[in-house]
Amino acid sequence: MKSPLVLLLALTLPLLPARSQGEAPASEASSAEADARNSVLELAGAFSNDGYKIRDGFWFSELEPGASSVVQVNLFAGNEYWFCAAANPPASKISVTVYDESGAVIDQQEYRDGPRAAAGVVAGRSGPFFVKVTLVEGEKAPFCLLYCYK
Amino acid sequence: MRIGLRIVSGIALLCAGSVQAQSDGLTPDEMASVVVLDSVSIPTPGEFFAALNKVERPNWIQLRRDGAAPATTNRAQTALAVGTRVADGFIAVEAQDGQQVRNIGKDIIELSKKLGVSQSILARGNSISDFAENNDWSALREELDATENEVKLQMIEQKDTDLITLVTIGAWLRGLQVASEVVSENYKEESAALLRQPAIAEFLLTRVDTLPDRLKNDELVGKIREGLVTIRGLVKPDYPPIQDTAATLHTKTTELLEAIGQSPAAPAAP
Repeated sequence: MKSPLVLLLALTLPLLPARSQGEAPASEASSAEADARNSVLELAGAFSNDGYKIRDGFWFSELEPGASSVVQVNLFAGNEYWFCAAANPPASKISVTVYDESGAVIDQQEYRDGPRAAAGVVAGRSGPFFVKVTLVEGEKAPFCLLYCYK
Repeated sequence: MRIGLRIVSGIALLCAGSVQAQSDGLTPDEMASVVVLDSVSIPTPGEFFAALNKVERPNWIQLRRDGAAPATTNRAQTALAVGTRVADGFIAVEAQDGQQVRNIGKDIIELSKKLGVSQSILARGNSISDFAENNDWSALREELDATENEVKLQMIEQKDTDLITLVTIGAWLRGLQVASEVVSENYKEESAALLRQPAIAEFLLTRVDTLPDRLKNDELVGKIREGLVTIRGLVKPDYPPIQDTAATLHTKTTELLEAIGQSPAAPAAP
């Protein structure tokens, strides 16, 4: 995992279209989910160009001021991972942080671009880790998280 | 002009963001509120195999298994078999065996039909076939992951959510069986360390325990639960499992996979 990838992201992501258009949503909730998912897929797509495989599964939930959202993931030693998240308005800035199984923060690369953020890690050992998504600026909003690996 | 500004903004973010995280650890409240999800918390067999490939290059062709999906009407067994076939698909991809991948794709569709979730995955089956035809192994890994998820989404839609756990268990057991075979036959601490998956075993066992009685009372599901209890003890050490532990893990997972793959005996001729 090299910093040039983060540089590439920083340079190219702002040039991408805001988000792709999906089919007409059945409800407000599914529309919000589709928006957040499209946005995070856009972010993950940049890693895909660097050989990362994007997991199909995702986590759709809500961010609230002063509260964090944490999900458990299970990683394999030696694999490289990027955890990507995107929030809908009115969230304006979010962050993603990875922790080991004891809850201690681990070495990672960070990417932040307003309502989209990612954290990149190389798993030093196999087992459970935790990924926290935090609302840094803005109000309660839905978000979507997924990850890619290689 | 606007694009230029955004690039500058991006570079500024890079300077601020590509360093080691400075935040504190998770608080006890955060640790207590951790979410565990089938879709994100459980890795695909592809992730497992990617890590294994970094330590050594297993002979994936030898690790493939032939044979058809079980001829059963038992929905629990069918769901477990879907999972094992998805993992078989990842193994065939590692072996770069396009024909095997196509066969497995057909098996997954056939099994899904029995569960009534085939309509939406027919297109996935076609994609699998096309990618296999073009030897697009990278796309196949993502397509197999997506196919498994598609099956699970359909299960949610038709209120068969209990079966999702069984699909996940099937895939995980087959991945574990292959990895434990590789480790036990050519022991290396680095590859043995990949068998350390305590949280997955714990999660799956918890999910089995919350299944409705009609499923918990199923003979095969009971056997799977019993097996998971044993496996939980084998995949939890802080140190890499020793060779004997890997061999025991292989024996246990093989036993469970044989039970999943077994077709009911044909009725005796009159």
